[in-house]
Amino acid sequence: MSHRGVTAALSLRGLSKAYGSTLAVDRLDLDVPRGSFFGLVGPNGAGKTTTLSMSTGLLRPDTGTAHVLGHDVWSDPVHAKRLVGVLPDGLRLFDRLTGLQLICYSGLLRGMDRAVVTDRAHELLGALGLADAGGTLVVDYSAGMTKKISLACALIHAPRLLVLDEPFEAVDPISASTIREILEGYAASGGTVILSSHVMDLVQRLCDRVAIVAAGQIRAVGTLDEVRSGMTLEERFVQLVGGQTYVGEGLAWLRTSSD
Amino acid sequence: MVANIVRLKWQLLRNGLRRSTPQLVGLILSALYGLVVLAQGLAGLIALRFSSPSDVARITITVGGSAVTLGWALLPVIAYGIDETLDPARFATFAIPRRRLVVGLLLSSLVSVPAAVTTILALATVITWSRSSLAVLVAPLAAVVGVLTCVSLSRVTSTAFSAMSRSRRGKEVVSLLLLVIALGVAVASSSIIKRLSAPRLLAHVADVLGWTPLGLAWSAPADIVDGAIGTGLLRLALALAFLLVALVVWDFFLRGALENPRATSGGRAASTSDAGLGWFGRLPATPTGAVAARSITSWRQDPRYLSSGVLMLLLPLGLLVSPLTGGSSAWSLAMAPAAGFLLGWSTHNDIAYDGTAFWGHVATGVSGRADRLGRLAPTAMAGAVLLPLYAALACALTGRWSLWPAMLGLALGFLFTGFGVASVMSVLKPYPVPGPGENPFGAPPGSSALTIVVQAVAGTAVFVLNLPLLAFAMGALLGHVWMGWLSLGLAVILGSGALALGTRWGARIYERRAPELLADLARIR
Repeated sequence: MSHRGVTAALSLRGLSKAYGSTLAVDRLDLDVPRGSFFGLVGPNGAGKTTTLSMSTGLLRPDTGTAHVLGHDVWSDPVHAKRLVGVLPDGLRLFDRLTGLQLICYSGLLRGMDRAVVTDRAHELLGALGLADAGGTLVVDYSAGMTKKISLACALIHAPRLLVLDEPFEAVDPISASTIREILEGYAASGGTVILSSHVMDLVQRLCDRVAIVAAGQIRAVGTLDEVRSGMTLEERFVQLVGGQTYVGEGLAWLRTSSD
Repeated sequence: MVANIVRLKWQLLRNGLRRSTPQLVGLILSALYGLVVLAQGLAGLIALRFSSPSDVARITITVGGSAVTLGWALLPVIAYGIDETLDPARFATFAIPRRRLVVGLLLSSLVSVPAAVTTILALATVITWSRSSLAVLVAPLAAVVGVLTCVSLSRVTSTAFSAMSRSRRGKEVVSLLLLVIALGVAVASSSIIKRLSAPRLLAHVADVLGWTPLGLAWSAPADIVDGAIGTGLLRLALALAFLLVALVVWDFFLRGALENPRATSGGRAASTSDAGLGWFGRLPATPTGAVAARSITSWRQDPRYLSSGVLMLLLPLGLLVSPLTGGSSAWSLAMAPAAGFLLGWSTHNDIAYDGTAFWGHVATGVSGRADRLGRLAPTAMAGAVLLPLYAALACALTGRWSLWPAMLGLALGFLFTGFGVASVMSVLKPYPVPGPGENPFGAPPGSSALTIVVQAVAGTAVFVLNLPLLAFAMGALLGHVWMGWLSLGLAVILGSGALALGTRWGARIYERRAPELLADLARIR
């Protein structure tokens, strides 16, 4: 395959996107090395979702390029998309399908064989603890189940790169540990994961590489220890992004103990 | 609280317009149209003031008012849906007494172009009735009651239908009700039209309507003008009582929506898919087959498709009303072509029903061809069954079996060219539809003008493409049997050509702008 010699699983160059007069992503460069477990952290509105959407072909960048294992996402989408599994945030699913149908749909859309798709779908349902829910409509799933079924859809074609936008948002601890286990196994076998999250603790435990994004630009990037530079990730994050407001004596009316 | 809800509606409308230019254009267009209707209506109402005898005013206003009220009651079901900016379920988390919520939502429904036109016209009837001082006092009251009845009836239908269509059983009830309503309206209007020449028919109709909930408020002032003060006041009281009943019914359904805001289709999938893959196991394991299986499953599971599907079946069946009530059977000949037209044309906004779930197609890089062709599956299946059947039914009714090839040809021509046009339209300009799980009869504010434009463009294109077929079918109708066979043959050639061209062109557009489509879909939701 042509991507043998490429060292970056995902490579972004000069990526920009503006919504009206708001610059969501500003000439962003980023390399996600092959086999890494990469965490993208940043405050709300930093441009994480926009960046990940532009890396997976869901949102066309104004300028710049995105390469997946050497394939340009925007000029060679067929090859690039074959290598990526996507879990977007804030987009709907075809939720009138059952869990099993939804996973199979993602596989069949990618032109896979039905027998392979069905076998893998049942395996995924089992691994994610959804074996009993395979016949339930996705619209009736809880938030955690929905994340897990989306992850299954992203994994069905055995992608080389997983792009996960907030995979742990609104997920209970038990589902979260299931997801974590599957991702760790995937990364250990040579797959590359890039995920965005607000939960510093989780990123710290899970990822070996981290990038901190704010205002559409990378503020710090490297191995976990390089970025932390002796602090916890959270301290470093607040230091770099800043802007924490001091509440002090404000909001006095909220302190009901004064009654 | 009531003022707050009304203000909220106004603000939402304004902010929505600031976000989207097409919506603004839509609102301006519908406002212009409203102004034209308003001017005509006002002129008519003022002219009625000087008509003698006053009977003309009574008949016109009673019949017109009843028609408007019926329109408001049925509009959410048959047309573009009512404005659901303020979805009652969104108030579930706020501790607002339900009675105030009902009043607030009712008054906020008045903030829209159709409601404004109705209100102004209703108030203008005061001019028409300014023939006695007591009438001038009663007429505004009656007008207010009439307008509020209109608005609350539309809310009753929309909340009732959306509440019912949430459960599987309810869906069936809804489709049955729609059938009954549509047939009822069709039978009534066809028998009225038939007897329109009968002397004083309209006066009789007005007499009857004047005592139904639809016309009570509108005919009350007429009695006052005629000196029948007791009758007039009785009608007004009855109209008020009916308004209260409508509000109580609405309140009842509202309670359901508030106490169970996220109720969905009842949990389990259809028994066939419980076992496993459902349609995904039956159709070919290709991207096209997968898209087709997904479309068919959605048609079966999603009340939004159900409501439009039922209407599509009903409209052609409506053409059977005249033959069944003893009128001319010639109308039934239009059944197969009408069904073909509607089925083909109906897919022109298919992608909008996906909403942002469309990302699945973008992320997997599914080909434009597979996306375009697969989506046609449910309607193509319906057409394969219904069109030959409808054509045969029409021939049986008219006794002219020689027309079968012409009717089927025309129907197939409409269906296939409709598919072709729709395959291009749906990737060009998706317009807003209710989201999954939302009221299937709702419509986003200001969207109806865009909706009408896109629908009209698609409809006209299909019609124009089929002009040659229409000519041959006419020839067959006039007795040239060979023209019927020719039109069937031509339909196959022309139709498959249009289908091939349309899907190829649509596929090319899809592949060029799939991400932009996704952005469009995210914006109109």
